[in-house]
Amino acid sequence: MNKRATAAEFVGAPVDSAPSSGPSPVRRPTRLKFALFAGVLVILILLVTLAAVRERSVRGPAAGPVLPPPRPAPTAAEEIYARALWSVHGAVKTEAFRMTMIGMKYKLGNADRADFRTRLDAAADAFRTAEGQVRALTPPPSLQSVHAEYLEAVQLFERSVAEMRRAADDDRTEHLVAAYPLSQEASRKLLRVGKAIWPGEYVPN
Amino acid sequence: MVLAGLLAAVVSASAPTAPAQGPVYSVWLVRNSVFKDVPAGAFMPDRAFVPGSTSPMNNQPFFQLPVNVGVIKGGNELILYDTGWKQQDYHKMTNTVNWAPLPEQLKLLGIEPGDVTKIVIGHAHWDHAGSISDFPNAVLYVQKAELEGIEWALNYKGHPKIAAVNVTPGGCARTPACGFEPLTMQEVYGKVLSGKAVVVDGTMEIAPGVIIHPAHRAHTPGSQLLEVPTPMGKLVFGSDVYSSWEGIRDWQVANIQQTDSVQQFLAYEKCYKITGGYQNCVAAHEPLSYSDGYPLTKNWWAGPNDSRLAEVTLAPGERTRKP
Repeated sequence: MNKRATAAEFVGAPVDSAPSSGPSPVRRPTRLKFALFAGVLVILILLVTLAAVRERSVRGPAAGPVLPPPRPAPTAAEEIYARALWSVHGAVKTEAFRMTMIGMKYKLGNADRADFRTRLDAAADAFRTAEGQVRALTPPPSLQSVHAEYLEAVQLFERSVAEMRRAADDDRTEHLVAAYPLSQEASRKLLRVGKAIWPGEYVPN
Repeated sequence: MVLAGLLAAVVSASAPTAPAQGPVYSVWLVRNSVFKDVPAGAFMPDRAFVPGSTSPMNNQPFFQLPVNVGVIKGGNELILYDTGWKQQDYHKMTNTVNWAPLPEQLKLLGIEPGDVTKIVIGHAHWDHAGSISDFPNAVLYVQKAELEGIEWALNYKGHPKIAAVNVTPGGCARTPACGFEPLTMQEVYGKVLSGKAVVVDGTMEIAPGVIIHPAHRAHTPGSQLLEVPTPMGKLVFGSDVYSSWEGIRDWQVANIQQTDSVQQFLAYEKCYKITGGYQNCVAAHEPLSYSDGYPLTKNWWAGPNDSRLAEVTLAPGERTRKP
């Protein structure tokens, strides 16, 4: 209660609203109090502002946990592109898988050369078709790099199949070894594209 | 539960309980990563969260699932059962946390990558067969049925949902080859190419007393268990066939991917028969891992990136690795 009375004395209207005919000995201390109060207030605000700025500069953005910025919702153009590429992606991934499996079977002696050759030729056809389909897509500007990476992946698979195909001709497994890192890199690229535009492609299992 | 208890008692009564004869092995378990906040019912249908339930079976909305790797040492052998995974793009897509490179974790056990002589993968899913290439000298053991199962799905001509790869984003769960991802299968292929793969058809003893048992369709087409004699009796490693140790105890299915639930129960029974109970069944994703709740793992310590290592048992003469 006492505090409220004090505040009313300080900021209440009656003191300054009275008509003035010049400084009077009664009003002078009130104006002084008001000026002092305003000054203290300004200093306080300045101090708080300075402290906040200093705190921010000392801690920096890395001092606390840094959360990744929320993923912006895809635009309509991005969604259309992602859907179109997905329809190619199923065949590419299946063929990549088949390449790995036929390579494994051949190396283990569970597939003969004719079977190996036939399967690789089918894979080469599938990747060629996929490359054409990818080239026919027009990505929005924001997905140009994703598009380029996917195309590179398909081309790497094509090179890998071609290298494996040589083993079907001369039965030298060095070709399989040379083809292997190309497929690996291509698979990594597929995964990076998936992470960018199909965030739900893989789920925990 | 009563039926489960009776079944457990019957199986236990007919099981061997004597300590293992012949060579025994030291065993550690390493938590390579954690699947964060997996809905309880997605992992174990019998454990689905029921709001307001006070039953311990149904009062947990989420599980934190470790990805456990077995380390087995004895004689001249250093055997890994599963290898975890290192493909970090997969991690980001699956809410994976606390991952650490397996070679870095093994260093805490005094093991260099070149020391590993054999790798047995319980199955070829991404979180179990993902770090094979980190161990250049190791010979890989994979079931023939696993490779044939993938091949079958790849060439299936019917509905695309049954094909080996997912055809809709997030849509491959439960389909025949979900979890066999391209980069993971290339890890297996790398060992085949370097002539360091053994395709196992059924049962095989890979070191004195260390026996691979088939558990086909108990999680994937060619899942396999590993029996290991130790000073504390026989252990059986089960990978995702034994996803949940509590599931083995309570006879509940877990982690249904390509699982035939009857085969999973038969694999549980195999552990009861070999070890004399459920205590020595080594689970890949038991949420109680690295706590007293799962006694095999209670002797644990923290590794890089807050990962976990547990000293399960030490063969005579083997020194402790626990700091």
